Amino acid sequence: MPSFKLDGQDIPFESGETIIAAARRAGVDIPHYCWHPGLSVAANCRMCLVEILPPAGRKAMMLDVLEWDAEKQDYVPAKKPKLVPSCQQAAGEGMEVASASSEHVTRARSAVQELLLLNHPVDCPICDQAGECRLQDYWLEHQGTKKRMHDEIVHKPKGVVFGPTIVYDAERCIVCTRCVRFCEEVIQDPVLEKRERGNLSEIALAPGRELDHGYTLMTEHVCPVGALTARDFRFKARVWFLRSAPSVCMGCATGCNAYLDFDPRDNTVYRHRPRENMAVNQYWMCDEGMLDYRRVHDGRVLSARVRGKKSTVGDAVEKAAAVLLGVDPERLGVVLSAQHSNEDNFALLRLGRDYLGTGHIYVSGRAEGLGDKVLKHADKNPNAAGVTALCTSTPPKSFGELAKDIHDGRITHVLALGSYSSDATKTDALTKLQGLVTLATREGPVAKHATVVLPVSSWAECDGTFVNAKGMAQESEKAITPRGDSLPGWKLVAALAKQLGLPMAWTKLAQVRSAMAPEAGATVAQATGAEA
Amino acid sequence: MAINTNGPLGPKKVAGKAIPRPSRNLAVQSYVPEIAKGLGITMKHFFVNTKESALGQRNDPVLESIDDGINCISYPEQRRPYPARFRGLHRLTHRPDGSPRCVACLCCSTACPAQCIHIEAGEYPEGDPRRGYERYPKRFVIDELRCVFCGFCVEACPCDAIRMDSGMHAAPYDSRDQFIFERERLLSFSGRDGTFETDNPRKEPGEPGHPGVDRQKHH
Repeated sequence: MPSFKLDGQDIPFESGETIIAAARRAGVDIPHYCWHPGLSVAANCRMCLVEILPPAGRKAMMLDVLEWDAEKQDYVPAKKPKLVPSCQQAAGEGMEVASASSEHVTRARSAVQELLLLNHPVDCPICDQAGECRLQDYWLEHQGTKKRMHDEIVHKPKGVVFGPTIVYDAERCIVCTRCVRFCEEVIQDPVLEKRERGNLSEIALAPGRELDHGYTLMTEHVCPVGALTARDFRFKARVWFLRSAPSVCMGCATGCNAYLDFDPRDNTVYRHRPRENMAVNQYWMCDEGMLDYRRVHDGRVLSARVRGKKSTVGDAVEKAAAVLLGVDPERLGVVLSAQHSNEDNFALLRLGRDYLGTGHIYVSGRAEGLGDKVLKHADKNPNAAGVTALCTSTPPKSFGELAKDIHDGRITHVLALGSYSSDATKTDALTKLQGLVTLATREGPVAKHATVVLPVSSWAECDGTFVNAKGMAQESEKAITPRGDSLPGWKLVAALAKQLGLPMAWTKLAQVRSAMAPEAGATVAQATGAEA
Repeated sequence: MAINTNGPLGPKKVAGKAIPRPSRNLAVQSYVPEIAKGLGITMKHFFVNTKESALGQRNDPVLESIDDGINCISYPEQRRPYPARFRGLHRLTHRPDGSPRCVACLCCSTACPAQCIHIEAGEYPEGDPRRGYERYPKRFVIDELRCVFCGFCVEACPCDAIRMDSGMHAAPYDSRDQFIFERERLLSFSGRDGTFETDNPRKEPGEPGHPGVDRQKHH
């Protein structure tokens, strides 16, 4: 692979790759605002300027400039090399590039920073981006001086509602056009546009439109400053209080890699944002997925219930065992859930199929929704492929078939994971059961009709593996501590098995995983890359 | 340790002078002369204090330095003056229109080592001239029991919205929840000079000195 030198370090590159992209792949970050690895090159922020040293024996191209001389208190003629934006300049074999080591580049970056902050309101105290803002970071790294302009700044509209999810502040905007390019290139819905010129320029909506396609929150995510803010997250939390856990989106079968941002002090998840994985979601996520973190908090089952009455988990496990004890295996149905991790499903499958001896395995989940060509999958469950892979010999039957079997009296007792019914019209069948035990995360039709409900932790509260539609098993890590009385599903299954007198003594997740590994038939895919 | 068997057995003789035991006669046992003696001291101070107070000869114990000895003051009627930079109970300063100066940036709760400040931010509705320029605290709660009165919140505030110059210390309430000060209570305290308002160097819409938000009006 050919290579060039950046500040003396050898950087390999592929033919046609730009300097900044090759450097990023090698783990060297050249400061930038407008460049994004997933978008076209705009080269308008000028933050990534670098100096390319001339080949041996050739003179550098120098420009005549006037420089302020503090001693003489006047401008004096000087020379400086022509700098190039590294986001647009293709790397060449043997090229010598000076970035941090060049004095000219350092001064140029400081000047670019000063220009970008010239009309900035510096309202960091009320800006949601504060703490993760490039203007703040780069001011510290590359400028560190006051601005020299004393005039009143140019005032522009603030708090403009762009759509149901996004609010725009033109004063904070540096017009890098990342949001414009994202809508145009990735979503192919050119709803945003730049208008006016120079210090009057701002982002505007297309006439008669609002920002309402399915990926609006990504425009906020690609915005390097606080110009676009999400109405959902606006003023809810300060980012320096938040911690991130690498997780997988539960919104659909695509299984986008994500970060769950949570506040450990109040054990609350505040937002979901994409994590780069070129094999799955690249850099993006849809609105549905980014707002899906709400399911950690909304409509949760936080305590055990026996016949509708609140109970301790220990008592409920005893009652659940009493419901299941002595049931004819031919009359017992086990419902797995495409909403739950492989570990939880495997534990329940092991208990139902191998120990209780039933052959009636079903699967439930959320009903099908709409998919699109970008990321969204019509299957709104994160682990349908995982459940199918677990039931190696006989594929699980659908919720509709469960309803039919109950109607026909073939099934009298059900042990279920999750609370979703894939078909809302067929939940009446559940009332005909003699016993229904469910391990549920959220309220739903199954939990409503259950004899015993055991509270299961959501994906944000325990580690788990999910298999997406492409068959990639992906790990989601624990963010917050389990809410309420909830416990990881496999732990509740193990407790239930113990109560039933069965030898399923799992106490650690690793034990479940090692028992499961040969059956799951999928390996854990590694996420790639760093932050854009 | 080996036992010394050469000397005499029993406790060692101690050299010293015997003190006679107090006599338990009738005067001592009735306590009357001692009570009279004690009351005499009390009455002596009573007459001296009364005379000095009446004639104005007495130093003001509040203003007097305590180097001369300990002076009693009649707290809470009399109080020692707190130093100029005494950090008392927090107060939230006002804008000219009486609303809190605070923009709910959470800098104070970030700086707080005791984590005693809880803020929930609110946003002005669309059409309000302050929208986009400001947000405001929907709730602003300080747990004065948990507070260590370090003053970091005051240092951290970019808007001069929280101060500890109320000159008051927390009163001994009889339940813990009375020490949880809500927004309205914090707004009701004035500074030691009796003022509520502070000036924010950054002029905001509607304030005199603000250049106007119209983009045509710049410069």
